[in-house]
Amino acid sequence: MELTFVDAIRQALIEEMRRDPAVFLMGEDIGVYGGAFKATAGLVDEFGPQRVIDTPLAESAIVGAAIGASYTGMRPVVEMQFMDFVACCFNQITNFAAKSHYRWNAPVPIVIRGPVGGGVHGGPFHSQNPEMYFVHTPGLKVVEPATPGDAFGLLLAAIRDNNPVLFLEHKFLYRRLKEDVAIDAPPIPLGRAKVARPGRDLSVITYGAMVQTALATADQLAARGIEVEVLDLRTLLPLDCDAIAATARKTSKVLILHEDTRTGGIAGEITAILQERCFDDLDGPILRLTSGDAPVPFSPPLEEAFLPSAQALANHIERLARF
Amino acid sequence: MPKARAARPRPAAAALARRNGQTAAAMVTDLRREKLRFDLRETRRDGKVVYEWEGRVTDPPPLRETAALSRDQALAIYRFMLMNRIMEQQLENLYKQGQVVGGVYFGLGQEGCSVASAFALGPDDWMAPMIRNQGSLLVRGFAPRDVMMQYMAKSGSPTRGRDGTSHFGDLEKRRMISPISMLGDLIPVMAGVCLGERMQGREVAAMTWIGDGGQSTGVFHEGVNFAAAQRLGLVLVIENNLWAYSTPLQRQVRITDLAVRAAGYGIPAFVVDGTDPLQVYEACRQAVARAHAGGGPTIIEAKLMRMKGHAIHDPASYVPPRLLEFWRRRDPIVRFEGYLTLKGWLGESERTRLRAEIEVEMAAERAAAESSPMPTPDDVLEGVYCERCHHPTPHFQGRPS
Repeated sequence: MELTFVDAIRQALIEEMRRDPAVFLMGEDIGVYGGAFKATAGLVDEFGPQRVIDTPLAESAIVGAAIGASYTGMRPVVEMQFMDFVACCFNQITNFAAKSHYRWNAPVPIVIRGPVGGGVHGGPFHSQNPEMYFVHTPGLKVVEPATPGDAFGLLLAAIRDNNPVLFLEHKFLYRRLKEDVAIDAPPIPLGRAKVARPGRDLSVITYGAMVQTALATADQLAARGIEVEVLDLRTLLPLDCDAIAATARKTSKVLILHEDTRTGGIAGEITAILQERCFDDLDGPILRLTSGDAPVPFSPPLEEAFLPSAQALANHIERLARF
Repeated sequence: MPKARAARPRPAAAALARRNGQTAAAMVTDLRREKLRFDLRETRRDGKVVYEWEGRVTDPPPLRETAALSRDQALAIYRFMLMNRIMEQQLENLYKQGQVVGGVYFGLGQEGCSVASAFALGPDDWMAPMIRNQGSLLVRGFAPRDVMMQYMAKSGSPTRGRDGTSHFGDLEKRRMISPISMLGDLIPVMAGVCLGERMQGREVAAMTWIGDGGQSTGVFHEGVNFAAAQRLGLVLVIENNLWAYSTPLQRQVRITDLAVRAAGYGIPAFVVDGTDPLQVYEACRQAVARAHAGGGPTIIEAKLMRMKGHAIHDPASYVPPRLLEFWRRRDPIVRFEGYLTLKGWLGESERTRLRAEIEVEMAAERAAAESSPMPTPDDVLEGVYCERCHHPTPHFQGRPS
């Protein structure tokens, strides 16, 4: 079935709700309206308002109620209209859900999904990449797909997972990507990265919408004789350390690319992993290309300057290739 | 899974509109026999700012009779209250002997509320305690040794030493959800429990407690409103014990009765004397029945007094002594003993025998707790994730909705 990124997410929700009566949805404007980005369009018609629940504008209540329902055996999937608003329910996620199994053996099988990222001129409160708040919280899983097929397969796995999963969907991809998705394919296991493009000269480790930037840049550089390997992390927590080490050993040069801001971004963590596991394998410095340490600005020229650009990526790769 | 009652059809729209149209005054039922105010005055004495209370120290009225409790039930509540108090005395002793890790939180003066509220729940219902509801834990079937081992951070504790105090639960048998330290977060969680149960075809009550302190949080509002909007069987007991740590009620809110907040959510509320277990039980019984009937949430404000500091380290020197004396005369155990004696349900010899029996039982519980080893660190990083060690399973009754 040919699906856009957002329709792949919608289709995964449909498949899981048909398969498992324990799966239900909660969020703001997800029912009759179908969600701000239409990820749940028509679902209330098929599954009814008991399973596609429009909530008050209250993120702590939404996630709290999801936690409570999960304790009774249900598998709630909640939508943050924009992932920026996940800050409003930080406590429910990091203190209630994340610590529940460790503290008292009570699993919390919930998914918190929604749009992240910039490039659409959403301004400081509709463009953020909040993944690292949660990557720093043991007990959570954090997933960010880069293709419709991965969005579909990873969302199936996230819903079937017994742990609280943050499922981050880059809104820039929602309608810009389309591909054939096998809807009878099995879930894609969480915690496994994917080589999105093999290459021998150096590795770009990235995730989310930046995978597309990396692939396009890699194509351009191939014409100039630089063969770039692109590793799509897909899951940020738990990180696929083996895949990270494998690509580093293969190419001996690593550039980490992410749209999230620089300080405390996942690039720092991956750099540490590489130092620990691949110190002798590296032939050059570990570089990182990220957004700057600032809120996401609103005006298009400002946002363009803020986000990592394809040109900057090409420059970084060429510099690294010279080592 | 215990047998659960089937979901009732939704009430007709007209009935709903009638209920929602009730005025604020009509929605709060006040069961108290004495309606008191505890306005404090801030004054300066010897250069220090202190609180003063100018009310009169009086004797309490008799308890409010309820037809809903049999002799045996009343005696069961009394026994749990006594256990609650004696267990906390043991906890204090353990602390003084250096056997407790961290502090101890007491529910002294709040035993009647803790016990009688939890007593109103049925086996299919859920509860989630607050830190002072150690009596509720006993009602729900936990042993005093469980509480003791939590405080002692023992490997045999319900959390195997991973958390302390009343921070534990049991999804399967006792349907109890562990609280976290951040107040208010339990409210939407308990609403969600009702939602999950309803989706499986059951209307249940989910009870939790919060203090006058915790009711100031934003998530209190979000949770109560969510429960109201979805008509979920949340039973929220606000234990208004007049102090949020050291901050008196009037420094927290501009209202006297926290129960009036219910009107803003379109739900009913009760005000009860929290040192009268009969009033507490009566209000909670009605709230639980309403939840079972699919009628939605209820707030119960219990007026009482925290008779010790916030935790064992806090001497509570900020509490005006006369206010403490006022409430000392309202010791829930003494009041309930008076009631049971008057009813002819509890004689002097029976009372002595019961106390002695609990003392013996508590000593055995304590010995069991002491004999549990401290946890070994080999599995300190295990169990962060559920890797198929549990299988969360819904139990649908009838056709899944």
